[in-house]
Amino acid sequence: MAQGTLPLKPPAEVEAPPLTLGQMAWRRFRRHKLAMAGSVVMILLLVYAFGGAFFLSEEYANFTDTSIRLIGPTAGHLFGTDTVGRDILARTIYGGQISLLIGLAAAIVQVILGIVIGAFSGYYGGWIDSVLMRFAEAIMIVPTLFLLLVMAKFFGGQIPELTILGRTFSGSVVVIILIIGLTSWPRLARIVRAEFLALKENEFVVAARAIGTRPLEIIFRHILPNTIAPIVVTATLGVANAILAEAYISFLGLGVQPPTATWGNMITGATNYIESAWWLWFFPGLLILFTVLSINFIGDGLRDALDPRSRPS
Amino acid sequence: MGRYVIRRLLQAIPLLFIISIILFVLMQNMGDPLATLGGRQPTRSEDRARLARQLGLDKPLYTQYFYWLVGNDWTMIDVDGDGVAETEGRRKGVLRGDFGTSLVSRGRSATEIIFERIPNTLLLMIPAELITIVIALVIGIYSALRQYSAIDNVVTTISFVGLAMPIFFVALGLVYVFAILFQRWGLPSLPANGMFDPRIGRSPGQLLIHMILPITTIAFISFAGYSRYIRSAMLEVISQDYIRTARAKGLSSRYVLYTHALKNAALPIVTLIGLNLPFLLAGAVVTESIFAWPGMGRLFLDHLGRSDTPVVMGILLLTAIAVIVFQLLTDITYALLDPRIRYD
Amino acid sequence: MKKLLRQMTVLFAIFVLISTGLIACGGGEVAAPEGEGGPEAVDSGGEETAVEPAERKVATFVFTQEWDSLNPIYTNMWFSTITTQIWNAAAWDFDAENNLRPVLVSEIPTMENGGLSDEGRVITINLRDDIMWSDGEPITAEDFLFTYEMTINPSNTVGSTYPYDLIESVEIPDEQTVIATFADPFVPWAATLWTYVLPEHTLRPVFDAEGTLDTAEWNRNPVPSAGPFVMAEWESGSFARFEQNPSYYGDTPNLDEIFIRFVPDDAGQIAALRTGEADLGTFISYSDVPTLQDAGVNIASVPSGYNEGWFIHFGENAHPALSDVKVRQAIAMGFDRFAINEDLLLGLTEPAVTFWDNSPYAPADLEAWPYDPEMANALLDEAGWVDSNGDGVRDKDGVELVLVHGTTTREVRADTQAVAQQQLAEIGIKLDIQGFDSSVFFASYGEGGPCATGELDICEMSNSPSFPDPNTSRWLCSEIPNDEAPDGNNDQWLCDEELDALFQQQSTQVDFAERQATFDEISRIMYENVYWLGIWRDPDIWALSGRLTDTELSGATPFYNIVNWDIAE
Repeated sequence: MAQGTLPLKPPAEVEAPPLTLGQMAWRRFRRHKLAMAGSVVMILLLVYAFGGAFFLSEEYANFTDTSIRLIGPTAGHLFGTDTVGRDILARTIYGGQISLLIGLAAAIVQVILGIVIGAFSGYYGGWIDSVLMRFAEAIMIVPTLFLLLVMAKFFGGQIPELTILGRTFSGSVVVIILIIGLTSWPRLARIVRAEFLALKENEFVVAARAIGTRPLEIIFRHILPNTIAPIVVTATLGVANAILAEAYISFLGLGVQPPTATWGNMITGATNYIESAWWLWFFPGLLILFTVLSINFIGDGLRDALDPRSRPS
Repeated sequence: MGRYVIRRLLQAIPLLFIISIILFVLMQNMGDPLATLGGRQPTRSEDRARLARQLGLDKPLYTQYFYWLVGNDWTMIDVDGDGVAETEGRRKGVLRGDFGTSLVSRGRSATEIIFERIPNTLLLMIPAELITIVIALVIGIYSALRQYSAIDNVVTTISFVGLAMPIFFVALGLVYVFAILFQRWGLPSLPANGMFDPRIGRSPGQLLIHMILPITTIAFISFAGYSRYIRSAMLEVISQDYIRTARAKGLSSRYVLYTHALKNAALPIVTLIGLNLPFLLAGAVVTESIFAWPGMGRLFLDHLGRSDTPVVMGILLLTAIAVIVFQLLTDITYALLDPRIRYD
Repeated sequence: MKKLLRQMTVLFAIFVLISTGLIACGGGEVAAPEGEGGPEAVDSGGEETAVEPAERKVATFVFTQEWDSLNPIYTNMWFSTITTQIWNAAAWDFDAENNLRPVLVSEIPTMENGGLSDEGRVITINLRDDIMWSDGEPITAEDFLFTYEMTINPSNTVGSTYPYDLIESVEIPDEQTVIATFADPFVPWAATLWTYVLPEHTLRPVFDAEGTLDTAEWNRNPVPSAGPFVMAEWESGSFARFEQNPSYYGDTPNLDEIFIRFVPDDAGQIAALRTGEADLGTFISYSDVPTLQDAGVNIASVPSGYNEGWFIHFGENAHPALSDVKVRQAIAMGFDRFAINEDLLLGLTEPAVTFWDNSPYAPADLEAWPYDPEMANALLDEAGWVDSNGDGVRDKDGVELVLVHGTTTREVRADTQAVAQQQLAEIGIKLDIQGFDSSVFFASYGEGGPCATGELDICEMSNSPSFPDPNTSRWLCSEIPNDEAPDGNNDQWLCDEELDALFQQQSTQVDFAERQATFDEISRIMYENVYWLGIWRDPDIWALSGRLTDTELSGATPFYNIVNWDIAE
């Protein structure tokens, strides 16, 4: 097949001073307008969630006043108030810290596992492939709900607290990240494996093997960059999924305990107020959307930057 | 290839066996099936002890698993609680095709309970999956060909709106707009749930109307999961040299697209479809609940909520078999699509 | 490119056609069972309605849980037992004021008419002579005897043998008389005895052939039956239909059909009520009430003995401060339960005073503890709990006044927790709040449930007596769970000897007024000691569409007057 001729290294469109791969990627990334926009939005979101904490205290975010419940956006409460009169603006700030942490960390765990397992499985084949893929199937079959309920039973209310950046988090944040990360990798692993199955027979891989390149180098330096596209998509989907899954896990009593806000539990708690109090879901929903979109565009830029064959934007 | 298939099928046996043990053990931690028996009050101690004995739940876990696997019709069990096993067991065990009797609808066979849901589950899930795939293909390909065009960006944003919202939120939003608001505005509105209007009666037309919202919900939610991968796979392929070359040689873009690009982008798409298809059998838990659709997802949830091991295990085993079969089919498809891929 | 799009469109159209085809085929499949729905299932769904659409009065009910079984001996599910008055019949039922109303019996047994004798040990009923099953067979004492036998037969995996396992003997001297003799005086007979009856002539042959009733077809298709309606069809996971019983001995119902749709999702139920697709829904949460009222749906609040409250733990794992009555009173006065009711519950209910509010045994002369944080502070100071280390939380002998409060993750409960946490913090009590999945939360001692083991100091939940009879089992000293008896009901481990004696006393009082007086005393002790703190009265909230008329609902047997229900278009 024609694909066999694809170049190992970027073609020589190199300009005067030779640049390293990293420098070249960064240059391409910088030129990628949407990726830069996405990066700016992501930075703003992080500033919002972590910087906002300097202006509004966590006590304020959890301060209830049932006499002003479900008030729409006003000057006093820019994003309105929730069902017990808490300020939604402050809650999106503190909720953002947890949701961004969980979303990004869980997606990273998922992507790393998916890449490593998929790559080894596809490259080595044989019994390694059999063991890893049967394991992936087992993970897909056992419902996550089962693991969650079992863990809720054994760990519910007994997970020690953690202090990160001066804020006390329930240790269950780590549990949530691990559960989501450890159960969602098989999809990516299957996709990466499929790519490896096709690419490992390519001439450039055969050639690299012939000159004695170490397998790990072939896997991660030569083949992996060609599979960056689905990885980026998986990471994007993974972040959104993790932010929403947190709310579900917390609802089972294992995750973030009330009254701690997260974007996920704020949007979930708005179920009965879809039309009567739109501000309950609109603001957290918008923040989740911004997060997902910015990660998507950053990912797009990364892919274009790392993969020289993609068309310049 | 034949040897590979046989090897995979042989691997499936220990896999299913191990998974069934894991699931069975996990199931025992899903709550106590006798705690309330679905009522509003805790079960009396006397009733609990009697039912545990009658249903064999007082036996050690390994015995319960063993009976589940191979049945108990070769032994005697104690039903009246006098300590003497006097009644012949009736269960045949999973290995002989008997999933046991439900603990919830006591006396009903789990197999019957599960299989009566399959038609309605597939009736909802297959059209939803087909529509999702077709729309995702059209949009994914178009987005890739017109990367960063206005339409691409709009579609990207819409698909991420679907991604940023929980499923129930999408479902309830659609119900609010198309059932409640449309009715209020005097427009032709869609039904909020069910499979037909009891005042009109059952008909294919009624069914079709009642399927629109649940299918739209499923499609909207799962759309991004396909279209983003398709878009990125197409982007990868069409930017490659040989496609550029083919285009430069004057081959029409349609021809290039079909024969080269789509074929090479097919691996991730096939992988995705192969990952999703087995779960069609498991239904859509949230969508079925909101739209009152009698599918497998609700059955699973209802019976899991009451720790009904035979029914829950039955559904999970069916799903497990489907997953294993579809992963094998996916791997076979790889080899058909791309002759470079060999497994031996 | 245009060509590509056009081709894609064609492709898409083909897919749509295929799926439509599938739908049509599927439709056929789904419709198929209708024809074979048993001899009783008159094929009315399609044809009749097509001929005379406006004539049939079909009321659509939404149930959020599907029945596990309709055979009353096999199910404990509320949604199944409340249908008894639709298709089955009990010896008697309760009206909207919780008064007994004879159904299959000619009169309610009393001491005066001799129905109750031997201090309440013997209960004799006389059946009406005109009652019959929907197939025309008479309902006789044989059916009652059979019902008793089947309930206690060890070959049937029945839900509960109570109260039939307390019966020494059932005798039927003639076709119309049933005499049940209990070992001890049996006080709660009205709420628990003869609440259902099985057709002996249909089920005896099944039992003789199968050796059990577990597998009986009747469990899912209860025909013949004894109520105003009779089942026409039940499609698992979807719906059930009941049509008029042609042989019904009472007044002919106004409705032609009751269509019950199983919608497991609360929001789905609300949507169906708002569009008018559903005529009746249950367990409506307070936050949905205004929305429904705006849509012209009527709301009925029916007390069935449930009250949301804080169950304070008294076991060895509990916080030491909770054993001091002053601390408990301070908690009651430091938490503004009136604001919770006014704001979170939209003023639709009010704080529950005693565990027996909402039931016939509620005392008349007690008022909810007032919200009085100053008094609460004074009581805590008096009890020796002061903030000696200045961390904002009171302490005593080096123990901080930090209480662990848990409940389920239901929205209104989580909201209540958040408010309580803040208000109690103002009087120096730190509330550590936790939410649980209900399967974990309600687990028994043996299963390691957080309430039963005392992992939580305070558990918030809604609980009820066996309405309308006052359930006391969860307060008895003998019900405190331990390793030998892990199923005990007394999750709060409360054992007050004076209270226990009164509970023993009421369990023998057949006379309503005497029993009520005992409960007044019980309520007073529990109230003054704050053994239980009511948060809100939790009646069942029903939603009824504007087109339903003449609906009356009772707490114990909701559909007691279903024959009077009508539809006004």
